Amino acid sequence: MANESVRKFYPWFTMLGIVVGCLVVGGYYKDQFREWKDFQRKFIREEVRRAITPQQRARAESTPVQVHQIILPELNRVDRCTTCHLAVDDPTYGGYPQPLAYHPLHEQHPSEKFGCTICHRGQGRATTAAAAHGNVPHWDEPMLPLMYIQASCGKCHQAADNPAAPELARGQQIFEDSGCRGCHKLGGTGGIIGPDLDKVGARRSSEWLKKHFLSPAAVSPGSGMPPQKFSEPELEAITLFMLSQTGEMVPGYYASMKVIASPDEGQRLFQQKGCIGCHSLGGKGGTVGPALDDVGLRRAPDWIVAHFKDPQVVTPGTVMPKFGFTEAEARSLTDFLMHLREQKVALSLPSLMGPVERGREVFRKYGCAGCHGPNAQGGVPNPNAKTAQQIPSLKYVADSYTKDEILKRILNGQHEITSLDASKPAPPLYMPGWRGTIKDAELDDLVAYLFSLKPKGEDLGF
Amino acid sequence: MNASPLKQLWQKFQRTRIGRSIFRVGLPDSNLERSQVMVSSFLLHLQPAKVNKHSLRASYSFGLGLITLYLFFILIGTGVLLMFYYVPSTERAYESMKDLEFVVSAGQLIRNMHRWAAHLMVLFVVLHLCRVFYTAAYKPPREFNWVLGVALMLMTLGLSFTGYLLPWDQLAYWAITVGTNISGYAPIVGPKLKFLMLGGNVVGQPALIRFYALHVMVLPAVTILMVAVHLWRVRKDGGLSRPDEPGNVVAQVELSHLPTNKTYGLMELARGTTPQVGANPEDEVFSWPHLVFREMLLFMFVVAVLLVLAIGWNAPLEQFANPIHPPNPAKAPWYFLGLQELVAHSAFWGGVGVPTLLVVTLVLLPYVDRQRRGTGRWFARERVLANTIFSICLFVAIVLTIIGSFFRGPNWSWQEPWKKPPVATESH
Amino acid sequence: MNDPTPGNGVSRRAFFQLSLGWLAGLFAFGASAVAAVRFLVPNVLFEPSEQFKADKPEDYPDGSVTFLEDERVFLIRKGNTFRCLSAVCTHLGCTVNRAENGFHCPCHGSVFDDQGTVKGGPAPRALTWFLVTLSKDGRLLIDKGQPTAPEQYFVL
Repeated sequence: MANESVRKFYPWFTMLGIVVGCLVVGGYYKDQFREWKDFQRKFIREEVRRAITPQQRARAESTPVQVHQIILPELNRVDRCTTCHLAVDDPTYGGYPQPLAYHPLHEQHPSEKFGCTICHRGQGRATTAAAAHGNVPHWDEPMLPLMYIQASCGKCHQAADNPAAPELARGQQIFEDSGCRGCHKLGGTGGIIGPDLDKVGARRSSEWLKKHFLSPAAVSPGSGMPPQKFSEPELEAITLFMLSQTGEMVPGYYASMKVIASPDEGQRLFQQKGCIGCHSLGGKGGTVGPALDDVGLRRAPDWIVAHFKDPQVVTPGTVMPKFGFTEAEARSLTDFLMHLREQKVALSLPSLMGPVERGREVFRKYGCAGCHGPNAQGGVPNPNAKTAQQIPSLKYVADSYTKDEILKRILNGQHEITSLDASKPAPPLYMPGWRGTIKDAELDDLVAYLFSLKPKGEDLGF
Repeated sequence: MNASPLKQLWQKFQRTRIGRSIFRVGLPDSNLERSQVMVSSFLLHLQPAKVNKHSLRASYSFGLGLITLYLFFILIGTGVLLMFYYVPSTERAYESMKDLEFVVSAGQLIRNMHRWAAHLMVLFVVLHLCRVFYTAAYKPPREFNWVLGVALMLMTLGLSFTGYLLPWDQLAYWAITVGTNISGYAPIVGPKLKFLMLGGNVVGQPALIRFYALHVMVLPAVTILMVAVHLWRVRKDGGLSRPDEPGNVVAQVELSHLPTNKTYGLMELARGTTPQVGANPEDEVFSWPHLVFREMLLFMFVVAVLLVLAIGWNAPLEQFANPIHPPNPAKAPWYFLGLQELVAHSAFWGGVGVPTLLVVTLVLLPYVDRQRRGTGRWFARERVLANTIFSICLFVAIVLTIIGSFFRGPNWSWQEPWKKPPVATESH
Repeated sequence: MNDPTPGNGVSRRAFFQLSLGWLAGLFAFGASAVAAVRFLVPNVLFEPSEQFKADKPEDYPDGSVTFLEDERVFLIRKGNTFRCLSAVCTHLGCTVNRAENGFHCPCHGSVFDDQGTVKGGPAPRALTWFLVTLSKDGRLLIDKGQPTAPEQYFVL
């Protein structure tokens, strides 16, 4: 009766029971197998091998096999890299093969304070080598190649301040000298022909950037950016600088490493507090204190900040009074002084340079060189432009424009560039209007510079 | 008697005072006890004491409704476990996914089971609907249960859709963006509905917490209730439909016609068909063990298949949601891709016309279809017209979904899946 | 159930099939339950680690009692010895304040002397001392998972 029709299912029942049992065990076993466990066992074996006293040995042997993680609430990161890289803080593991190597300079950047991914990138929460190093689909932040690691220094340190990151400073120098700002905005300053570069380092890989510099249209079809003629070291340096622009803001403790970029505020304070009464700039000012033109070369920013807060602490016996500057004020002043060094001499301190020299600095500062060439000689390609498919030289503007005319041209720009062939796409590069960006005082200098370009002794028809 | 040791042990336990207090009836040895065991156990009494042999035939029902129910159970179980780790915040949702994958024991496995069970449930709910249609099982007295079934299908879609957003990755973010935009095409209420659903104009934290509350509390609670009614109605409507049942002869007592000067027993008032009505003892077998054993086998089978899927294939997790960079093309969940394909041709028809028409037609179907024959047989000859219309609709829906899933590349352009997609141009 | 008489081959096979099926099924159920419980046991903690590094020994002046906020301990240096005292009151877990010659709990008024011994109030036990060692990179390593006797200290 009952059994007869049900009994035919018994073999199915048995089989399904065993299959489900095996699958549960198999699934759990697969889940329990994790590659980091092997690395930890290897490390424990090494620790046992190194142990000298029985206590050390017992302690090594009882090391639990578990996920290690560094929690960095301020940086909004959880880094589990030390699950495999177990000896990053142990100098005796110097020179060991990865993942058991000691991290050089660990003392300056202890892993429990900084974690790993803030500099190295990759995926901190991952616990497999491939996923953690970011070499997996659907993870956009792979590890930064070690040759570009200096790009990360810029997150907390100002490029020019950090002697340990010369490549970063070099990259920034090339960026400013090449006139990239003529078309691209970075940190709010620059043109609008090309895209903003504030987060470019988070979006693009080094390979993409390098290809793009040499031949923009190859990786970004339709791009009107002129190909750049960088040497190999220049290319690496500017790529590194681009990689450093991730748009990431580090908070609190980490940001305190960075001098707040407010030289204007510093200059205002410098004038307001009457520093010039005792110190001189460009030969003008008092002689009670030392001249400050090259103070940025002589002193570290930290020293200057400390000095502003309480001069007696860093130079006991000095006659300089304690002004009671706040932290922010001290940093702004420091930044102003560092800025003097960076630009050799401050642009806006009048008497130090002639108008032509200042104008050349303006030309450089706003990235005019990006299109007009470093010496305004033109020649940058602008496909389908009537002017020989190039951006014309500025050498003879003095002949074709009055001062007012050229001012108007700079302030309003020239958005319509006449095409060589009307059937082809319009030339990609045009002159943006600079009204509101270039300051009035700077404009006069810029015009003076442009008018000075006309080769001496040449006079066309006058 | 040659009872197995396991059985002896169980019987021993049942004879203790505690055992008796929990299980009123021991393992049944007589037909009386076989009925009692079904009636006296809370979990088993959802089912009748005896079932028609026809209902047990796998080739009739394919167990599709049961499979859907089991998947729903598994989803509740795995879902509750996942809730212990999931944080419904735009900042931490994605991180909880990563933690499940990397540091929680069996975390990825349980998430995989949840994901695949969810997809399978959508699939099986539709298959179940097809079975009920092709066997004309929605006819009286089962009209209302069909309507409940259609509502349950919508609930399943709602559950799946709200769950889709929770990982907060690119896939989730853009699927929900596209999905809610489809609903925004409905006239008058569309934009309002979308605004209410998202708690704003874009998918953000308010949308995430709303979808979360719907997904883990509101929709499951309503669904459980509706499933209970759905199952109860299966019993009250006389079990599974079958060809030889007395048809629409419903033993019905009009309360108003009853003399009121008399006290009635419950059985006298009970309305509708009971399993006994029209029952021929020859055709019936005891639910224990015939039905219960089969149900258990089916459950084990579902678990086995799900485990194979969960062990073999990981649930997708793409990049952290990025509202600035949509993937190209951005696609809705697969079960809405047919609609998305329609929206690409006509916003009105894809967003409103077709879905409304579909739901309304399905709900009205048992009341519109006057044909009384054909119940309980697959593809009954009397129903050629109905079956053909339904098959065409089903075929179109499948084709549209396949096109939307596999044949649409960047900018929703036609793209054969076996050809390499063109390199998407960078916007400068 | 009407089991056929023993010795019947069909019945014996059915018996084994049924038993094996039940055993395997119950095992699978039990294993799933174990896996579910294991799932709920956290493998990583998002709280300050029991073991943590303080600064280098020379960063703490002789005779200093330094309160480490995040870890809720007092790090005490006397001469070349270092000891670490829990700042968690043994009564109900409030953080004790440093007072003259000891520690004072603001919640329910427990008083401890500078050895952590209870001098008054509801606290049931003395404050706990933790093991202090030196990490491999030369910093003080404190393990809150390892209570020690008050007499035990780390000598530089």
